[in-house]
Amino acid sequence: MDEGKSSSREVVEIGDGAAIPDPGDPGLFSAWWISFIGTILLLVGLPLTTPDPYLRIVRFLPDGILITFEVTCASISLAMVIGLITGLGRISRNRFFNLAASTYVEVIRGIPLLVQLFYIYFALGRFVRVPDLVAAVIAMAICYGAYMGEVFRAGISSIDFGQTEASLSLGFNHRQTMAYVILPQAWRTILPPVGNEFIALLKDTSLVSILAVSDILRRGREYAAESFNYFETYTYIALIYLIITLILSKLLSIMEYRLSYYERR
Amino acid sequence: MNDAEAIIDISGITKRFGSFTALDDVSLRVEVGQKVVVLGPSGSGKSTLLRTINRLETIDSGTIIVDGHDLYDPGEDINKIRMEVGMVFQSFNLFRHKTVLENLTLAPVKLKKIPVSQARQQAMQLLEKVGIGDKAASYPIQLSGGQQQRVAIARALAMNPKIMLFDEPTSALDPEMIGEVLDVMVTLAREGMTMVVVTHEMGFAREVADVVVFMDEGRIVEMADPDTFFSAPVHDRTAQFLDQIL
Repeated sequence: MDEGKSSSREVVEIGDGAAIPDPGDPGLFSAWWISFIGTILLLVGLPLTTPDPYLRIVRFLPDGILITFEVTCASISLAMVIGLITGLGRISRNRFFNLAASTYVEVIRGIPLLVQLFYIYFALGRFVRVPDLVAAVIAMAICYGAYMGEVFRAGISSIDFGQTEASLSLGFNHRQTMAYVILPQAWRTILPPVGNEFIALLKDTSLVSILAVSDILRRGREYAAESFNYFETYTYIALIYLIITLILSKLLSIMEYRLSYYERR
Repeated sequence: MNDAEAIIDISGITKRFGSFTALDDVSLRVEVGQKVVVLGPSGSGKSTLLRTINRLETIDSGTIIVDGHDLYDPGEDINKIRMEVGMVFQSFNLFRHKTVLENLTLAPVKLKKIPVSQARQQAMQLLEKVGIGDKAASYPIQLSGGQQQRVAIARALAMNPKIMLFDEPTSALDPEMIGEVLDVMVTLAREGMTMVVVTHEMGFAREVADVVVFMDEGRIVEMADPDTFFSAPVHDRTAQFLDQIL
C-alpha cells in the first residue's frame, strides 16, 4: 500500500460506481450537468422527433425498468445484511467467525460475477426450485455481500478506537458500543462506497438478463429481436441506464452532505 | 492506612507488552474519597496503571479489587463495575455523532434505564456545573478542547460513578484552556469524589492530592503526601524528575 492511501484512512474509496458530483469540485459538477441535460434531451427528443421506433421502444421498456429496480433494491438490501455480518466477522476476535468471513470474501472476489451468477443460479436450481428473479437476487447479493463486507470492515476500522474505549468505560458492552457508537459513525464513512456499490450493482443487474429475468436489457433484446432495430434499442437502453445512475449519484451526494451534519462547524 | 476502607485495591499486578514490562509488581490502595495523583516520565506505566482500574488494560498477574468486585472474577460483570468508574481521556473521546446533551444522556438512558426527560434534566445540571450549559445542543467538533474535556468530565459524572479516573486530562489542551479543566477537577475533588489522576500538572498535585505516586519503569518508586513528596523526596530518581519538571 502506498503512502497516499494509508494516510487517508478515513476515506473509504471503492472506485467502481459513477463519480459523485461534489459541489466543491466545479469540473465534475459541470460534467454531471452536461451529461444529465444531454441525456434528458435525447431521452425526450428521440421519441418526439423519431417516433418510429423510439416511441415504441419507450412503450416496451417500462416493465424492464421496474424489474431492474426490484432486483437492485432487493439485492442491495440482502447484500448489506450479508456485508454487515461479513464486516463484523472480518474484525471479530472470534477465530471461526473471522476465518469464515475472510474465506467468503476471498472466494467471492476471485470469481467473475457472471460466472457466479451462472453457478449460483444452476446450483440453486439443482436443490430447490426458486423463481428466476429470486435466484438472480440471491446470486447478486452473495457476490455484492463480499464487497460490502469490505466496505463495512473499512468503515468500522476507520472510527477512532478512543470512541470504543469511551463507550466501554461508561459500561456499554461490545455489542452496545457497536450499535450506539461505532456503526452510527461508520455509516457516514460507509455511505459513499455503499452508494457506489448500489450504482455498480444496478449496472451489473444487466447481467441477470441472461438468467431469463426480464430486466431493461432483456426487454430491449426481446424488442430488438422482433423489430431488428438493434442500434436504436441499445441506444435508448444505454441512455436509460445513464439517466438512472446520474440521478442516483446526485441523490447520493445530497444524502452524504446531510449525513455529515456533525462534522460541520 | 489498612484500617480505612479501600475502594480500589491493586496488589502485585504485572503487565507486559511483548517483551516490554509496562507494570512490574505494582500495588496501590485508594480509600474512599482519596485523591491520588500519579506522576512519572512518559513510558513509566502510569497511564497503563490507570487503565487497569477499569480493565481497559488487562493484566498478566496480580489482583485488582474495585468497590469490592474482583475485576478478574469470571462471575463479575465488568460492565456493571465500569458504570461505577468514570474515566476521562487525554483526547476527550466525545461521541462525535451526538450533541453535547446526548453525549451525557446516552449511557444513563440506555444502561440505567433512566427516563429521557429526567436524564436530560440531570445532564443540563451537570453541564451548568462544568460551565457549558449554553452548548448543550452543539456537536463536539464545534467546541474548543477545554470545552470538550469539560463535557467529557460531565459525561462520566452523568453515570454517577463512585470513582473518577483521569488519564492526562490536560495534556492535549492549549495552555490557556488547562485552567478551566483543572478548575472543574478541583471542584469535584472538594466535593469528595474518589479520584485517580495521571497528570503533569504539579500545581494540581500539590493543591488536591492526598497521595502523590511517582512511577518509573513500571514500578512505583515513591508514594507520599504532596508536602513530603515535593519538598523532601526520598529517592534520587524522584528528585531528578522533579528537578527536570519544576
